[in-house]
Amino acid sequence: MLRISIGQYVAADSPLHRLDARVKIVCLLALLVGVFCVSGAAQLALVAASVAGLLLLARVPAASVIASVRPLVAFLAVLSLFNLFFVRTGDVVAELGPLSITSGGIAAAALYTARFAVALVAGSLILLTTTPTQLADAFDRMLSPLSRIGLPGHEIAMVFSLMMRFVPMLADEASAIIDAQSLRGGALGTGGVARRVRSIVPVVVALLASGLRHADGLARALDARCYEGGKGRTHLHEQRLGAPELAAALATAALLVALALLG
Amino acid sequence: MRSGDVQVRLAHVSLVYEGDVVALDDVSLEIARGERVCVLGANGSGKSTLASVICGLLAPDAGEVELVGERVCADGAPDLEAYRRARRSLGLVFQNPDDQIVTSVVEDDVAFGPENLGLPRDEIAARVSSELHRVAMDDFARADPSRLSGGQRQRVTIAGALAMRPKVLVLDEPGSLLDVRGRSAILRVMGRLAAAGTTLVHVTHYMEEALEADRVIVLDHGRVVLAGTPDEVFSHGRELSDLGLEVPFAARLSQRLGLPWTCDEQTLLEQMGTWFFSQREGDRSQAPAGRAAPGATNPSPSLCEKNHVPIVQVEHASFSYDRRSRALDDVSLRIAEGRSTAIIGQTGSGKSTLLRLLCGLEAPDSGRVLVAGVDTSTRRGRRRAQTAVGYVMQHPERQLFAETVEKDVAFGPRNLGLSADEVERRVSEALEVVGLSERRGVSPFKLSGGQRRLCALAGVLAMRPSVLVLDEPTAGLDPRGRAMLRRVLSRLSERGVTLVQVTHSMEDAARADQVIALDRSRLVAAGSPREVFAARNERALAEGGLGLPRSLRVARELERRGWPSLGDPLTTDDLVAALNVRAAGSSLPAEGGEAEC
Repeated sequence: MLRISIGQYVAADSPLHRLDARVKIVCLLALLVGVFCVSGAAQLALVAASVAGLLLLARVPAASVIASVRPLVAFLAVLSLFNLFFVRTGDVVAELGPLSITSGGIAAAALYTARFAVALVAGSLILLTTTPTQLADAFDRMLSPLSRIGLPGHEIAMVFSLMMRFVPMLADEASAIIDAQSLRGGALGTGGVARRVRSIVPVVVALLASGLRHADGLARALDARCYEGGKGRTHLHEQRLGAPELAAALATAALLVALALLG
Repeated sequence: MRSGDVQVRLAHVSLVYEGDVVALDDVSLEIARGERVCVLGANGSGKSTLASVICGLLAPDAGEVELVGERVCADGAPDLEAYRRARRSLGLVFQNPDDQIVTSVVEDDVAFGPENLGLPRDEIAARVSSELHRVAMDDFARADPSRLSGGQRQRVTIAGALAMRPKVLVLDEPGSLLDVRGRSAILRVMGRLAAAGTTLVHVTHYMEEALEADRVIVLDHGRVVLAGTPDEVFSHGRELSDLGLEVPFAARLSQRLGLPWTCDEQTLLEQMGTWFFSQREGDRSQAPAGRAAPGATNPSPSLCEKNHVPIVQVEHASFSYDRRSRALDDVSLRIAEGRSTAIIGQTGSGKSTLLRLLCGLEAPDSGRVLVAGVDTSTRRGRRRAQTAVGYVMQHPERQLFAETVEKDVAFGPRNLGLSADEVERRVSEALEVVGLSERRGVSPFKLSGGQRRLCALAGVLAMRPSVLVLDEPTAGLDPRGRAMLRRVLSRLSERGVTLVQVTHSMEDAARADQVIALDRSRLVAAGSPREVFAARNERALAEGGLGLPRSLRVARELERRGWPSLGDPLTTDDLVAALNVRAAGSSLPAEGGEAEC
């Protein structure tokens, strides 16, 4: 059975785990912008070292980092091959029939791949050290200005949190439905376009019915637990901005300045 | 009962759903503080609706409702503000834990209710830890609910409801989707809550669970038809069976043995002890020690008979979904053509994985699986296995999709590219076997729970499999639905279909020709029910979280209390026969018992 996991949170007690999720999100976004502006070896070394430092700080087992990045490794490989063969600047280093590899291509492949890998690890780091609830709470707070102008800021955050919870479950159910129907000769993913489209209908209908059933149950549960939107709610987890948050923000700013100077 | 102590008062409450479905019909009841009330009823009797009315989620069309001191509904007119206030003191836990857990961290989920109540942070934290402790889930505070077992998840939802400190906790079939171990853990939690004085309303269709209640209410077609203490209610055996319910095992047994009626197993065991010894007073020295017990001389046909052609062979099969753990570890077994096999084991023992190997959805990592002589290691082999084996998954009714029963059943045969006549023939045949011929034009979503499952089963039968593999076919059904399904399965067995079913019911397992017991991915016992449930396996089974069939459990307990060997009776009939032989044997010494054998 396929297991999709979103937000592979790893429980631990580290400075990164304790950091306020809002600050984590903002710093991550800043870091990602920085990473995608990297164009030289020195800059790359700096961001890679920073992310490596964060990994050590997070006290997350290497295996879970690898596990969370693994699904995208194939994408990384394709990205690097693409650069390797299609960037044609610099000297030609080797020729394989119609394909040629240039020194520019090698540099681009190395740079883009490394950049993407660093960004990926940084992104997974936030999911590994932040619970979905913390993320949702953070979004809730960050989107609260929206509520003030009449947009459903809190509701967006709640939907996000419920999605984290229900998407893996629906994915499991979808795979069970597909298995059951393929055992009854349903031919999902075979034959011509028309046949493929037709064969998808029973899966979607069954999945929709199951989604509606979950929605009914969820509505009953939310009512029973007195959920009435964001108004008057309190939070188990404290969100406060203190010295660690300030330090994180300063460190991120320092990193961005250093990158700009190196560039 | 002082009026201030009444937590729930319903007076002449009626509720009608769209399409004139009467869910509640003139129901009146009162529930006092600290009371433990159990609501019984078949599917569609209105018990879930009653649960929703009691916890303030549904307002009736007529009648008066007073909940935790709030008059929420008078003459069918709901007072929404009063409802809102009342709901803050009412808790609900229902069937499916997956729909009730709203976050991906256990403690955050327990905190969700108190957060909605707007409680201060310290108070929430204190409640989360005390309620998780109450349901014995302290160690899982930071866990991801999707990695817990169903029983553990349901305990999390109970903690979530309790953290709101409800004055009344309503549990709507909290155990019906759980295995035996999960269910008994929920019952233990309920026992502790009742002892601590929590007012409990428990809706269930497991009669045994009602025995602990102070009061039992039986619903049928939205009306209260029986009410009273468990003893009073369960003494109406005939009415209950007419309502599609049953009486607890102890009640049935005491009645069949002509003993004073009781529905408590301990009382019954004590009665049986005195019954036996009163009959054989002073006769003890002549007790025919070590003599072959009745039944033992006449064992049910052994399933491992070598002359039966195995239609499925599993040889040293291992399988894992990921590198960390094995889902199945070196399992070997044979399934004879035309016989029925029960696979038992608690959640996570590898049962479902074994089924996936049998029906060719997966191939073993090592070892072999042969279905009708074809190895499933190749894609072609698996395709062949998939045609020979019909697989009925857990809750197959969740996969229904067509507008009518008929179309849903025809899905498989149509995919095979059969002629319209042949499709029609197969659909009619399958619907007839499951007894749904009358309902072929109806939407499958309009059927009762049991019928929906039969409809899904018919969809698999229309593929004409020679082996039918079922994953917990009776899970979540009411007694009537369970009986319906068992009848269909035995009909199929008579027609020569090989049956393989995963079951949590040791009584179902005892009725199979062959039993396979799994524990932590390994095979712990295999053979005829008599062999698997033999005394030497009792420990291994207990370690695997498995019990014994009820009759056998009673027999062993009696033997411990001094009865002579009762010969391992696997069914109630066997037990009654053995007891009668033994009781008669004691007054007619020596040959008496022998002659019966």
